[in-house]
Amino acid sequence: MADGGGWRPPRPCEVYRAEWKLCRSARHFLHHYYVHGERPACEQWRRDLASCREWEERRSAEAQRSLCESERARVQATRKHALVWALRQSPPADWHLPLPQEEKQQ
Amino acid sequence: QVLPERLAEGKPGQGVLSSFFTNNQKCQLMLLKTLETNPYVKLLLDAMKHSGCAVNRERHFSCEDCNGNVSGGFDASTSQIVLCQNNIRNQAHMNRVVTHELIHAFDHCRAHVNWFTDVRHLACSEVRAANLSGDCSLINEIFRLHFGLKQHHQTCVRDRAILSILAVRNISKEVAQKAVDEVFESCFNDHEPFGRIPHNKTYARYAHRDFQNRDRYYSNI
Repeated sequence: MADGGGWRPPRPCEVYRAEWKLCRSARHFLHHYYVHGERPACEQWRRDLASCREWEERRSAEAQRSLCESERARVQATRKHALVWALRQSPPADWHLPLPQEEKQQ
Repeated sequence: QVLPERLAEGKPGQGVLSSFFTNNQKCQLMLLKTLETNPYVKLLLDAMKHSGCAVNRERHFSCEDCNGNVSGGFDASTSQIVLCQNNIRNQAHMNRVVTHELIHAFDHCRAHVNWFTDVRHLACSEVRAANLSGDCSLINEIFRLHFGLKQHHQTCVRDRAILSILAVRNISKEVAQKAVDEVFESCFNDHEPFGRIPHNKTYARYAHRDFQNRDRYYSNI
């Protein structure tokens, strides 16, 4: 986390508002229920929006802390499960090579 | 690979447009529109470029006739996406097929996927593709006359992943099902590069916005 100099909210405040609004929409309720079988939880987006605005207005250290904590928790949630495969260090060597027939024609 | 251009020769009784364009031409036109306008695809193309696998339309896509009613496939041995020009019905279908196959290409690009030697790896990519491409949206399932609401998405993802595996591997349904069951928890929750399940274009646009913002995001948490 970049403390003090140069820190700003990970997302623009408008994005927190857009996510909160999307989360609370009827369509999202339907999508979420269809996938998870339960209602979505939108409160955290509202809290993050409030923190973002507080940072914008008053440069509150508490707002910064709260936002960082919230986003880190989101990132952690995506890393909960071990991957089935090993990630590459570099892309496949043959991705850009010409197709086999083209090679023969050359 | 690329079929020679032929003058339009429509099949009788298929409407005005069909008599002006061949299946190959229609496929090429729809593909172009997808690549240029569809938010799911634009995000995937961006993510792949970022991973070192920039996609070139002529090199990495091929419109061909296919057997059966397969809509498309990803050939890892040639790094090419095959689009079944005789089976892709309309623009919305093309959007979904391209998204689905690009997810496989994306997985191939960012991970060591043993497509041919480990059915669990294949299962994982099929789960992700069914989950993230819109294959299992509520609307599409209703069109298939599969009715279910609560958590039905997951049922659809499992079923379609199994079907996809069986279409490309000569294995029993039980083996395919077991592979899907083993990898489901991990792969259903792997939403890269979207960061969420994109239920429609709005979600895909938000996901693309987040992807473009990732430098700011990770440097400030």
